[in-house]
Amino acid sequence: MEAHRRHGAVNRCVFAVAVLLALTAFLPSAQTPEMPTILVTRQLAALEGLAVGDEVRLAADAGGTGAQTFRIAGIYEPTPDPMRLGSVPRAVRMHLPDLLALTRDPAVPAGAEHVDSINITLVDPADAERFSREVTTRAPGVLARPTTQAAGLGTTFVVLERFHTAIAAVTIIAATVFLLALTIMLVDERRETAGVLRLIGLPARRILLQVLVEGVLVASVGALFGLALAWGAEGLINRFFQWRYDTALVFVRITPRVAATCLAIAVPLGATATVGASWALLRRGGLRLARR
Amino acid sequence: MMAPLAFAWRALVRQPARSTLAVLGVAAVGALLLDMLLLSEGLVLSMRELLDRMGFDVRVTAGDTLPGAGPEIADATAASAAIGALPGVRSVTAIRSEAADLHHRDRQADAAFIGVSGTPRVWTILRGRDPAGRGELVLNQYAAETLRLVPGAVVTVRAYCGDDDAAPPPVEFRVAGVAELPFDTPEAASAATFLGDLEEACGTPGAGRADFLAVTSTGDAAAAAAAITAARADLRAFTNDQLIGRVQQGGFTYFRQISTVLATITITFALLLITVLLTVSVNQRLGEIAALRALGFSQRRVVLDVLCEAALIVGTGGALSLPLGLVLAVWLDGILKRMPGIPTEMHFFVLEPQAFVVHGLLLAATALVAAAYPMRIVARLPIAATLRNEVIS
Repeated sequence: MEAHRRHGAVNRCVFAVAVLLALTAFLPSAQTPEMPTILVTRQLAALEGLAVGDEVRLAADAGGTGAQTFRIAGIYEPTPDPMRLGSVPRAVRMHLPDLLALTRDPAVPAGAEHVDSINITLVDPADAERFSREVTTRAPGVLARPTTQAAGLGTTFVVLERFHTAIAAVTIIAATVFLLALTIMLVDERRETAGVLRLIGLPARRILLQVLVEGVLVASVGALFGLALAWGAEGLINRFFQWRYDTALVFVRITPRVAATCLAIAVPLGATATVGASWALLRRGGLRLARR
Repeated sequence: MMAPLAFAWRALVRQPARSTLAVLGVAAVGALLLDMLLLSEGLVLSMRELLDRMGFDVRVTAGDTLPGAGPEIADATAASAAIGALPGVRSVTAIRSEAADLHHRDRQADAAFIGVSGTPRVWTILRGRDPAGRGELVLNQYAAETLRLVPGAVVTVRAYCGDDDAAPPPVEFRVAGVAELPFDTPEAASAATFLGDLEEACGTPGAGRADFLAVTSTGDAAAAAAAITAARADLRAFTNDQLIGRVQQGGFTYFRQISTVLATITITFALLLITVLLTVSVNQRLGEIAALRALGFSQRRVVLDVLCEAALIVGTGGALSLPLGLVLAVWLDGILKRMPGIPTEMHFFVLEPQAFVVHGLLLAATALVAAAYPMRIVARLPIAATLRNEVIS
């Protein structure tokens, strides 16, 4: 493949975000004394027409001071980051020593540079809390935090979840009101049948039981149909938003828990609406019900 | 037109329970629809209002990023002078923000420390006055409350301005006033002073660096931005409209997309339910409608009755949905504003006349489409056969 030579003005922020210590393991060819290698995001590669094997020049400032040549070892799909939704991830990943060599201030001796963070994998993940406390105590000025806590800081998603729950609550209220109106009409339609059943001796409780069974069946079928519809929409919505934002992020996921919650709300709600509407009707006498 | 409307009204009043529930259902759905319409443009409108309120109409940055998100302008002093000399420019303010610790007695607060040069000021004084001389600053309300500071008190500032964590010696500032700073976030302390004082606190006096330059044009922002770009090719100039455009392309689109999806689902849901309600209602009254036709009511007239019934349900529900939607919007806005980094003055739901117009049009279209099928049933009703069936059954 024909190699391209490009000058890339990459600012330090991009480096800071792009570099992780753990990435070293993903770049086997970098151990050779040859040209250092980098990984490029799929989006950046598409934007700049880059391919594996191409040579690019990277510098720490827009002026191209101290630019160095790197070979693209691979194109990678960046880990979806909901916080950066909508922004094209123009990033490269490189070995930490290469980054430090590229960005080091001439006044700073090699080995005295700083990094933003260090990711640590423990032998026993359950020790994360204790280990973090110990590091924080032993190294003043260093903040160690288990990744679960760091993820917990994403209040944005907690807030979004609350927002969606609120929207779902309003939708359920609207659906319940409509459902009640509909069941009242449907029950009213069967007023004469109910009256005849009462006149031939069936007690109101027996008719109500029948209505309850019917309600449960109809609500169950309706809820299952709704779930099937949601499963179908899940793919469509995810594909649309993934296309729209050029991301691998999953926007909608119908988990068993979500499905169970939907069924737990929809079926009792449907059955209760049916029984409630029927109860109001069945309180009347058989003759009154059967009268045209 | 009044007769069919009155007739439809009587038909609804005759069945109060189902009519009330139908209206309430439309009100709930309409409220949700209104909120989705307000949400679709709310953040962008709110952002525009905030930008406009600051009084600047062009922002100049060193990179192709939003102000404050990209590299610093290294020669902000020279750039300000060059831009200020352009004919279409009225004023230039250099703005730089750094992190700082504020200390007062035994109290401490992490804060955003903002330095500005020139005028106009980017803050609004709530108490006290503007910094008049060197070594003075203004605090936002949260910082003043957290540190229990009042105008005239002294606060110690330790600024963190470099890429490393080394901090220069702490500097004492006198609190000139308490102010509302633009893009202040709830429960976040911030302080603002002159750019020179911030540089002193950073230990780099005369550095002349800025995150961005805020420019006030003499009237034509686009021309001023073009002139700035022509004068300084290494800088990028954005008008407020261009900034909003960039913001729209970014994360804000999420709420627009989600509101479009939810509004579509909401309106489809309402359409289906109103259609079912009207269809069942018409089916229950087929004999009555056939009798009316036999009495001399025209086909057009009975069709109009059904349309009026739909219009009354959707109209009444739609009218109720407006106050309901506004209350709901306040609640939902309160939920979303708990997101970190959202400025206090920014809102997700912003009242906009266009949203109300679209809301009305969508509900009207819903009433029309929902009534189409029952109207077709009524229009094609065989009078004699229906009456005969009615008698036989």
